Amino acid sequence: MRDTQWPRYEVFKQDRPDKPHEAIGTVHAPDPEVALLNARDVFVRRPECYNMWVAPESAVFKMTAYELETIPNWWEEDLPEDAAEQTYYIFNKQTQRRSMVAVTHVGEIKARSEREALRKAIESGQFVRKQAYMWWVVPESAITSSDEEDVLSMFEPAKDKTYRDQSYYTGRVFARRSQRRPEDIPLS
Amino acid sequence: MSEEKSYEEKLAEFEARIERGEKIEPGDWMPDEYRRQLIRMISQHAHSEVVGMLPEGAWIPHAPTLRRKMILIAKVQDEGGHGQYLYHAAESLGVDREELIEALLEGRAKYSNVFNYPTLTWADIGMIGWLVDGAAIKNQTMLAHSSYGPYSRAMVRICAEETFHYKQGKEMITIYAKGTPEQRQMAQDALNRWWWPALMMFGPHDSDSPNTPVLMRWKVKTKSNDTLRQEFVNEIVPEFLALGLEIPDPDLHYDEESGNWIIGEIDWDEFWRVIRGNGPMNRDRLAARREAHEQGAWVREALEAYAQRQAQAEKN
Repeated sequence: MRDTQWPRYEVFKQDRPDKPHEAIGTVHAPDPEVALLNARDVFVRRPECYNMWVAPESAVFKMTAYELETIPNWWEEDLPEDAAEQTYYIFNKQTQRRSMVAVTHVGEIKARSEREALRKAIESGQFVRKQAYMWWVVPESAITSSDEEDVLSMFEPAKDKTYRDQSYYTGRVFARRSQRRPEDIPLS
Repeated sequence: MSEEKSYEEKLAEFEARIERGEKIEPGDWMPDEYRRQLIRMISQHAHSEVVGMLPEGAWIPHAPTLRRKMILIAKVQDEGGHGQYLYHAAESLGVDREELIEALLEGRAKYSNVFNYPTLTWADIGMIGWLVDGAAIKNQTMLAHSSYGPYSRAMVRICAEETFHYKQGKEMITIYAKGTPEQRQMAQDALNRWWWPALMMFGPHDSDSPNTPVLMRWKVKTKSNDTLRQEFVNEIVPEFLALGLEIPDPDLHYDEESGNWIIGEIDWDEFWRVIRGNGPMNRDRLAARREAHEQGAWVREALEAYAQRQAQAEKN
């Protein structure tokens, strides 16, 4: 019965062209193309989505602030002499507030390895306002993006399904604390 | 690694982080018991979402209007999605979705008891949305504050979507309660059958819940079963009564001093009987899951074959 455990892909969703991509979860898929389709089904039953990236989870280098602090010389590695520079996408999480998002895309760095990319990103100081709690580094070559021409077929239909939105229905969910005194209630 | 800390030091650090309100993320040090408890809770939660598609899915072909059918399909799709968010949160702790699903299909895993009751009439669909999803939201709103980052994030997303489930159910029951005598009767009958199973969703009394103290100490949960159940009862009882529906509990009364609605004793024998697999629908639910899994096998095989052929074509 072991037939559903395909590789995991991290999913990065961009709500609008002027917003950064955000890591919202993972899907299993046999290839990136199906990963994008599964990601649409799992994460875009509602608006908004303009673009999505998927990357194999195994290609995503993740470090928490706790690890950076507690793993001595985490950046040390044996790089081959001829290691070539490539572009890495940098993501981080800068708040502990309630959120659906793990990390947010903050920019790119050219480096010879993911560790080098992370070290450069941290040292540059340009990707953090106050504090980062989590960092992800993804080689550009590992990312598969949805096409702009797919927006209409993949993401737009969710906008018509207004009945999926709670504001389509009247009334509120819970009175914070019942304001209604019992004698106001008709006890049938 | 000369400065390797002792277990006690790491534990103290871990607890201090939780105390400060920091989220624990995959990769961070955590006690084995924290990991074990989270896998247990999150996987049960994931299974509940997936099995929860069945009682409602059964009514999709019988929805009375196209609008109601679209709403119900959307809701059942959401439950499937929620199951996926949660399996993936569990995977961040080092288990496979596949082994979790296997445990479910082989009857080794638990899921919420409430889905082992049958949906007998269309009014049950409204009552599940309002009452059962209402109870679920109560629990999930608390879990959105959970100390484990991936669980909390999945919960925030689920709560946002679940609100629609609750509201469409409340809308439906409100219409029925204000409708014809037959519709009122359907709403009342649904409430009679779902009331107690919904209250059981909060789990055993705190005194019989051995996991609660450690879960609260590590802020996986921030409120106990009985606290949440009482909050829920206080919120929902006045709403049902305002619609002229009767709560099927002769002992229910309002306690002026505490401001609480006090319920009668829950039938814990029934609770444990259903958990142990002997509820009205346990066997049917698992049989339906297995059948769906087997019937989907060809889709998974086709996707696999396609992926392999594409990979081969890229090589050549």
